[in-house]
Amino acid sequence: MVLRILNNALTKFKYFYTYYELSRALIPLIILILVSIAMSPRYFLNPVNIKVVLMQITPLTLIATGEMLIILMGSIDLSPGSAQAATAMIAAILTRTTNNLLLAILVAVALGTLIGVINGVLVSKLRIYSFVATLASLVIWRSFVIIVSGGKLIYGLTQYSVFTQDFGTYIPIGFVLTVFIVILIYVLLTKTVIGRYLYGIGSNEDAVRLAGVRADFVKFLAFTIAGTLYGLGGVMLIAMGGFAVDPWSARGNELNAIASCVLGGIMLTGGSGHPLGGLLGASMLTILTNILVLLGVTEIAVQQTVVGIVLIGAATALTRGLRYVK
Amino acid sequence: MQSSLAVLAENIVKRFPGVVAVNNVTFDLRYGEIHGLLGQNGAGKSTLLKVVYGVHKPDHGNIYVDNRKVFIKSPRDARKLGIALVHQEIAVLPHLTVLENIALLGFSWGNLISKFDRSEFKNYIDKIMSRFGIDLEFNEKVRNLSSAEKMLVQIVAALSINAKILLLDEPTSPLSLHEVEKLFDVLKQLKKEGLAITFVTHRVNEALDICDRITILRNGEKVATVESKDIDAHTLIKLMLGREPEELYRVRVDKDIETIFSRYLGEVPLIELKNISTQPQTAAEVPLKNINLKIYRGEVVAVFGFIGAGKTELGKTLIGLTKVSHGDILYMGKKIKIKSPVEAIKHGIFYLPEDRRVEGLIPHFTVTANMDISSLDIVKKFGIFIDSLKELNISLDMIKKLNVVTSSPYAKITQLSGGNQQKVLVARAMLTNAKLVIFDEPTVGIDVATKAEIRRLIYRYARERGVSSLVLTSDVDEALGLADRIYVMRDGKIIREYINKNLDRDEILKNLA
Repeated sequence: MVLRILNNALTKFKYFYTYYELSRALIPLIILILVSIAMSPRYFLNPVNIKVVLMQITPLTLIATGEMLIILMGSIDLSPGSAQAATAMIAAILTRTTNNLLLAILVAVALGTLIGVINGVLVSKLRIYSFVATLASLVIWRSFVIIVSGGKLIYGLTQYSVFTQDFGTYIPIGFVLTVFIVILIYVLLTKTVIGRYLYGIGSNEDAVRLAGVRADFVKFLAFTIAGTLYGLGGVMLIAMGGFAVDPWSARGNELNAIASCVLGGIMLTGGSGHPLGGLLGASMLTILTNILVLLGVTEIAVQQTVVGIVLIGAATALTRGLRYVK
Repeated sequence: MQSSLAVLAENIVKRFPGVVAVNNVTFDLRYGEIHGLLGQNGAGKSTLLKVVYGVHKPDHGNIYVDNRKVFIKSPRDARKLGIALVHQEIAVLPHLTVLENIALLGFSWGNLISKFDRSEFKNYIDKIMSRFGIDLEFNEKVRNLSSAEKMLVQIVAALSINAKILLLDEPTSPLSLHEVEKLFDVLKQLKKEGLAITFVTHRVNEALDICDRITILRNGEKVATVESKDIDAHTLIKLMLGREPEELYRVRVDKDIETIFSRYLGEVPLIELKNISTQPQTAAEVPLKNINLKIYRGEVVAVFGFIGAGKTELGKTLIGLTKVSHGDILYMGKKIKIKSPVEAIKHGIFYLPEDRRVEGLIPHFTVTANMDISSLDIVKKFGIFIDSLKELNISLDMIKKLNVVTSSPYAKITQLSGGNQQKVLVARAMLTNAKLVIFDEPTVGIDVATKAEIRRLIYRYARERGVSSLVLTSDVDEALGLADRIYVMRDGKIIREYINKNLDRDEILKNLA
């Protein structure tokens, strides 16, 4: 009897876990936060630590959300890291030379958008596999950073402290802005025609094309919006990363973005995942590293190993019930 | 070994969501015979083979090999029992050579640890090939081979592991006439050596040519097993197609027929194809040759033909997915070019694909979202936003009108049965303001009651809303019961056109025998 009730509850939970896309990311995040609190209540809940975590989450959330748009279509984008570095570097140089923060930010975001436009054209018009097209982007834009920076670190960009201000709440303005942008993306994905098409392309592109949808245009648009988000991610990178940019900033961030999506319950095969997945996944990734540091695990290699193991766990949960994956 | 029982598949039942693919079929195969499995698209031939080969697990029924009961859980088990499946052309590795393919396809785990002696293997294969009169160049890359040669590679691979039971799944459909003969010579040789061969086909004449016995399947059920020397092509076609109860297919009423026919004289057709020929882009695509076809407003036109006749290619030509090498498409008398489905929809042409699962359904979407993906214009507000209330109302309305059985408009489409999924796709077509809807095999693989419902929907839609329908079908009763005019297609050509008035069923079938 008890066993049956338990079994029933388990079945229901399974259903809930598998089919409610938000819960795929939300439940593990809540568990992670609870575990973190339990393990190190004094340090983890310390307001300063919370602010640090939120600051680290901010740039990662922006690129993870952009990456999410691409992964939802069943494509992949390897350019976020380089795009983030390129936009950050341009913003840094412009801030230095013109001392005009607004101009620098606008140009950086515009550059991000341009990177997205180029990715979009490569994939939807020239029909290059997104993996290859954005791999080229990854290499090219990193080279761009190295060339324009002359290989030198730019630091002391204190103007960007506007994003780290918290007015006593320990919640930085940059994070609030980011959450606002994530909400915009949420609305785009759930309430608009474009979002519907985007999910459709990830779910069954052939069917969507036969149904008369301009899939190429939607793809182009998604890459463009993702690029814009990478640009914003670049700006936040300066603000949250100690007001400095070096030529190798954000290296490997494309992988963090993809990992965030996986942790956030976005299926890499496309078509399935909650629009907040990027935010939730980025939070998980950041909190995971944070709690390890608080517990005294400062070795990067050990941290990365733990992250890798958690990633394997998340990925296994995500694809459970599928017959096979590629 | 002669004449003893090789495989007995007893009372096999295989269900897929919403449809019984194989229903209580008993099938026996003897050594030294070629046994034909004949049936239409969706009759369950391939499913039956895949059950025997361990790809699908039967829901019910037993399989005996050499009179011993066996449980075949995977193709690996099947191969251990000496069963090999030869598939059209999927199962070869195009970038490897012939010899490498044979070695790999005949691969068993035992060979992994034993030393692979290339020259010895070559001799071994050479012996097999010369015994059966097969001629293949060992070092040629398989991608350069013809379809027939690819088939032979698979057969040799099967022989190399001493397979005694060969299952051939539609081996002839990609082959030319000459290649078919060559393949048949090999099969006859194999038969003489005492192998048991199952030969799946939908071509009646081929079955008669080569098979000793023929088992006919229809809608997942076995109709009969006959000795091929006792039967003629015409009877065989009749058995294969069967005849459905009249109320299932007879949805058209003859009352308004005169008004329809009178239009053929004066009116300009909505769509006209003039001498359309296409250039195939893949090996599987059937080239169209000089297609002439007219569709008037509000008319139901059927194109009848078997698989490989080029019906789907015809449908896809109308939405710009084939390469037209010659000829014109006229829209209300004006020449137009259609390059993509998007452009087709601009001209009011909508295509509902044959393979629901591959090209129709959007699996992660709800019933509602699957319905209005082509017509989001009507639920839009402020430019790009979806008015979800309006969307829900339209969806509820369609669910009621089409009698779709679903727990909720927000249920996942994959939770519905095949018939109801098809209804959702029909609803998708109806929600667009298309002037011509192309239904590619609208009732294949769904239960009989829903078949009748969908036919009635197509008919009513044409009559009440004045929307033309082009029904591409391999079901002669569907064409007869539904269409005002019927085109008969074969090998990429339209061979006859009929006005559906006092039309005799056998008269149409004669074209295909």
